[in-house]
Amino acid sequence: MTLRDYAIRYGFIVLLFGLIAYFAIAADGFVSPQSAVFIFQSVAITGVLALGVTATLVVGGFDLSIGSVATSAMMAAAYVMVVLEQNVVVAVLVCLLIGAIVGLINGWLIVYMRVPDLLATLGMMFLLVGLQRIPTEGRSIATGMTMPDGSVANGKFSDAFLALGRHRFDFFIPNLIPVSVVVLIVLAVLIWFFLEYTRFGRMMYAVGSNERAAELAGAPVKAYKIWAYVISGVFASIGGILLAARLGRGDIASGNNLLLDAVAAALIGYAVLGAAKPNAFGTAIGALFVGILLQGLTMMNAPYYTQDFVKGVVLVVALVFTFALSGRGRR
Amino acid sequence: MNITRRLLGKVALGLAGATMLMQVPAFAADKPAPFDKPGVKIALVRYLSTGDFFQAYLSGVESQSKALGIDLRVLDSRQDAALQSDMVDQAIALGVQGIIIQHGLTESMKDAAQRAVDAGIKVVAFDVNVENPKIPQIEQSDKDLARLALEQAVKDNGESWNAGYVYVAGIAPLDRRNETWVDVKKKYAGIKEVAMFGTLDNPIANSVANQARSVLQANPDINVMFAPYDEFAKGVKIAVDEAGLNKKIKIYSADISTSDIAAMRETDSAWAATAATNPAVVGQVSVRALAQLLAGEDPGHNVVVPPTLITQKDLIDKDIKNMEDLSAKLPQFAHADVAMPAWMPNPNAK
Amino acid sequence: MGNDAVFRVGGLRKSFGHIEVLGGVSLELHAGEITVLMGANGAGKSTLVKIISGVYDHAGGTMHLAGENFEPNTPAEAIRAGVVTVHQNINDGVVADLDVATNLTLDRLSGKGAPLLFNPGRVRREARAVADRMGLAIDLKARISDLSLADRQMVAIARAMAHQPKVLILDEPTSSLSSAEADRLFALLDRLREQGVAILYISHRMSDIRRLADRIVSMRDGVISGVFDKKPLDYEGAVNAMLGRKIHLDRIEVRNAAKPVLTIEGLRIAPGAKPISLTLGDGEVVAITGLVGVGKTALAETLFGLRKPLSGTMRLNGSPYTPASAGEAIAAGVFLVAKDRGENGIVGGFNIQENISLPFHKRMSRFAVLKRGLERATARRQIADLGIVCRSEKDEMTTLSGGNQQKVMVARWMAQDARLFILDEPFQGVDISARRDIAAKLRASANGRATLLFVTELDEALETADRILVMSEQTIVGEHRNADVDLDRLLAEVAGGPLHSAA
Repeated sequence: MTLRDYAIRYGFIVLLFGLIAYFAIAADGFVSPQSAVFIFQSVAITGVLALGVTATLVVGGFDLSIGSVATSAMMAAAYVMVVLEQNVVVAVLVCLLIGAIVGLINGWLIVYMRVPDLLATLGMMFLLVGLQRIPTEGRSIATGMTMPDGSVANGKFSDAFLALGRHRFDFFIPNLIPVSVVVLIVLAVLIWFFLEYTRFGRMMYAVGSNERAAELAGAPVKAYKIWAYVISGVFASIGGILLAARLGRGDIASGNNLLLDAVAAALIGYAVLGAAKPNAFGTAIGALFVGILLQGLTMMNAPYYTQDFVKGVVLVVALVFTFALSGRGRR
Repeated sequence: MNITRRLLGKVALGLAGATMLMQVPAFAADKPAPFDKPGVKIALVRYLSTGDFFQAYLSGVESQSKALGIDLRVLDSRQDAALQSDMVDQAIALGVQGIIIQHGLTESMKDAAQRAVDAGIKVVAFDVNVENPKIPQIEQSDKDLARLALEQAVKDNGESWNAGYVYVAGIAPLDRRNETWVDVKKKYAGIKEVAMFGTLDNPIANSVANQARSVLQANPDINVMFAPYDEFAKGVKIAVDEAGLNKKIKIYSADISTSDIAAMRETDSAWAATAATNPAVVGQVSVRALAQLLAGEDPGHNVVVPPTLITQKDLIDKDIKNMEDLSAKLPQFAHADVAMPAWMPNPNAK
Repeated sequence: MGNDAVFRVGGLRKSFGHIEVLGGVSLELHAGEITVLMGANGAGKSTLVKIISGVYDHAGGTMHLAGENFEPNTPAEAIRAGVVTVHQNINDGVVADLDVATNLTLDRLSGKGAPLLFNPGRVRREARAVADRMGLAIDLKARISDLSLADRQMVAIARAMAHQPKVLILDEPTSSLSSAEADRLFALLDRLREQGVAILYISHRMSDIRRLADRIVSMRDGVISGVFDKKPLDYEGAVNAMLGRKIHLDRIEVRNAAKPVLTIEGLRIAPGAKPISLTLGDGEVVAITGLVGVGKTALAETLFGLRKPLSGTMRLNGSPYTPASAGEAIAAGVFLVAKDRGENGIVGGFNIQENISLPFHKRMSRFAVLKRGLERATARRQIADLGIVCRSEKDEMTTLSGGNQQKVMVARWMAQDARLFILDEPFQGVDISARRDIAAKLRASANGRATLLFVTELDEALETADRILVMSEQTIVGEHRNADVDLDRLLAEVAGGPLHSAA
């Protein structure tokens, strides 16, 4: 391998370690188990979303609706528990169902109605931003809230549900690892294994690279595409569940920032190990990269707009790595 | 929109129903013209409408209008500055007698407001400066909000503490609250701002929580968090809980909602106090100021709605669980004695 | 109808890099005559057209229009001088979002002397005049995107004719038209011929050529290989000149089929086409040849489950075979190496190994997890088997030559045993040695399956097949045992001459 090959392959990992080293020196308290766990926790939600959107990127699509799927799932969880007074199982199932249904509709629009992916999922995003406000007429959901008909919602977030956001597992140090981090790691391993080692994942890459060739190799291309959007929707709804568990209420939000961060993580992932394609491992590293950056910058008292700026710089550099240096953008 | 408004009316009724007591206004007293007969037409021209605050504001406008027998039209521009300006002209064309301009941009609303005044229509403006001496400005005092919360912080923690401060520059109410913070820091040399952070990435609470965790990690000496916006305070509280510092740190904020009340009431909650203006009251005051103008009275150029301090202790002692309880059990929150001439009906007093 | 050439090309040369595409082409076009230019893929037709229409410059030779030197540097210059080209891709000739009237007058909106302001009334008047002259019966207010392909084609031609050119060049104008639509085009061309336009018409379709041609010019390997202008026109001679007759170096040992594998009866693949019946036997290699656009790919796709036949039955190993998708075809043991590997075959993001295993993931996995060891072993075996030149099975496809890429495509489908192995234009863009390798491999492994090739080049069929079938007009028109082929008859069939019944 030439120096250039090494740069493409390991450049981003080196950058990541460089960043950690820099913050370790520049920011007090950056290096500690709690700090590490916290970085994982801060990227858990966007990380889960990013893993989902990776699936759609693999089949050559894109899902702009993940942010609003997440916030819709959050509202749904709150609605189910606070207004309908159901238990944790129902709440989680409803959320997952919403994610799956939205994914199916996205896939149907794109595959059968031939709506371009960006437009279909953009439409879905707007639809969900509006839809999540309808049941409560635009109010956030919390115990004791007044419903549109004047009644008071008396249900509350069940402890089991809140534990999804607040419980911590012991790991060498007691109460160290939050549930959300475990969820992130489990999902990352699952989707990584699925994409890299199963025949379904392999065929999804084939669909993304040359749809016609995949079809002529006997693959049900339409089904693969739809499944990719279902995966994306379900992952986004899992992100929404974690979000609801952390906030402890149903917050009206468009989720656009979740979307942008997730997409940034997935795109940064292209550059990791010179993959030059969407991949789960890269996405996870991309999410961590953003998390480390934000943690360090915040600890150094950098204002929020510099953080956006730095995020953008990282993304642009990653895209240059992917497309210019590895020369695969021209395909 | 129609459904929303009708149902909101019900909410307002519920709100009003929950709040009894209050002084008895001059029920018997005849109202001055034009309120001696029902059917006075006014319009509410809105720039912002989504969110708990704006819905509560609207419910206040509706309840006071109802009490005065006013025929209210709501025109909602949904953050479209040009449309909002056109809507003022639309209201003029509708033949309304009074207009409430709710938020908006000075640049786009100044001329529109002047056109309405020229057409002989009485106008009041809430939270937007239309630079017109004939138009009373309804304001919630952001400086007072911050002052109340910080005074409580000084009362609880003495005159010397290390503060984490949540602030995003460029947002008008936050900028005004910031002025007070700057003054307080000057006044008390012992108050040190060791970290400043903040973001408006939504969901805001989640993003702020992430930041606050980092800040707490970097600055273990913080013992007070000043988060003068409730979304900020929620985020800070999540971070404080996650870091297990809830007994060590106290949070002071501004604004209030049902879920904020729940968060403040939690056992060992770090959220000590908040200062808030009841948006429904602001809505009522807006209508009352306009009604005074229509009746030929002068409400004054600046109509300030005073905020209320709400402490964790209040909430627990008085068993306040939601906004309705708050209105019922903290009378100063449910009603502001502003723009209340003797003839003015109090919508909370039915 | 003078016999003086309006347009004359002499000794035109053009090279791309060190590959000579045109090696001295001379051509004459006469007013009021339709000259048909025939040539196989890669013969240099498109390059010739692009030089005449000012897209490319040329390295040597001369061009004269009406006796004057003609040296266009841009397409616009060529048009202004009076040489107008309608390209193969219809949508290049029209602007889909504008209406017919605007399209007809589009070229007047720019250029010298164009008015500053857009005047809809004037546009409509001018468009009306153009349409009348062409006998064009299309609503001038209709948007192009709402028109059929044929109507778009008419508009593109009418637009070209708005310049009142002396020379009109049409590059495969009927390739996407139905026969009824083509008839309308022919009527328009007759009209233009009467008006004295010199027309150069490029096509493979024999029916078009019979209908229109006043002269035929055949091209092969960058030179003119035949000019036919004596009536009646010698169509077979023209096809012959276009395909060429090479002496084939390797005579193959022709085998006879054993038991039948695939039986087709009464299969119709296009409306109005005669039904196809044929039998393919175990161990035999059959080539179907014919010009571009005679339905070879359609037949291949029908056999592979990508298209439904209009009527007829297919039986595979005696049982009915009605594949509804490529997946079903593969499951039944029918494999297809599709034509145009870049478009239909190669997965660019995959390396050699992953490209080879693509259709057989299911057979190579356990509980959906791919067995990478088996995948690698298969790839290595296939690489060795077909003699694919590469560093390892992990090489990217882009690092391979065209011939090796094609070998990977063939290797992909030879990794498992097929009942019926179909290859559509397997030798396209493949160098001679790779072509020999692939052909030899196909013949060596032919036992146990039926092998069916679709090729345009006759040589490829003669080098590879035991039996050669000829397709024309969406059906099979001839059959030859590749031992003592009557080449004259075969070429006549390719040219669509007197029909010999195949079934």
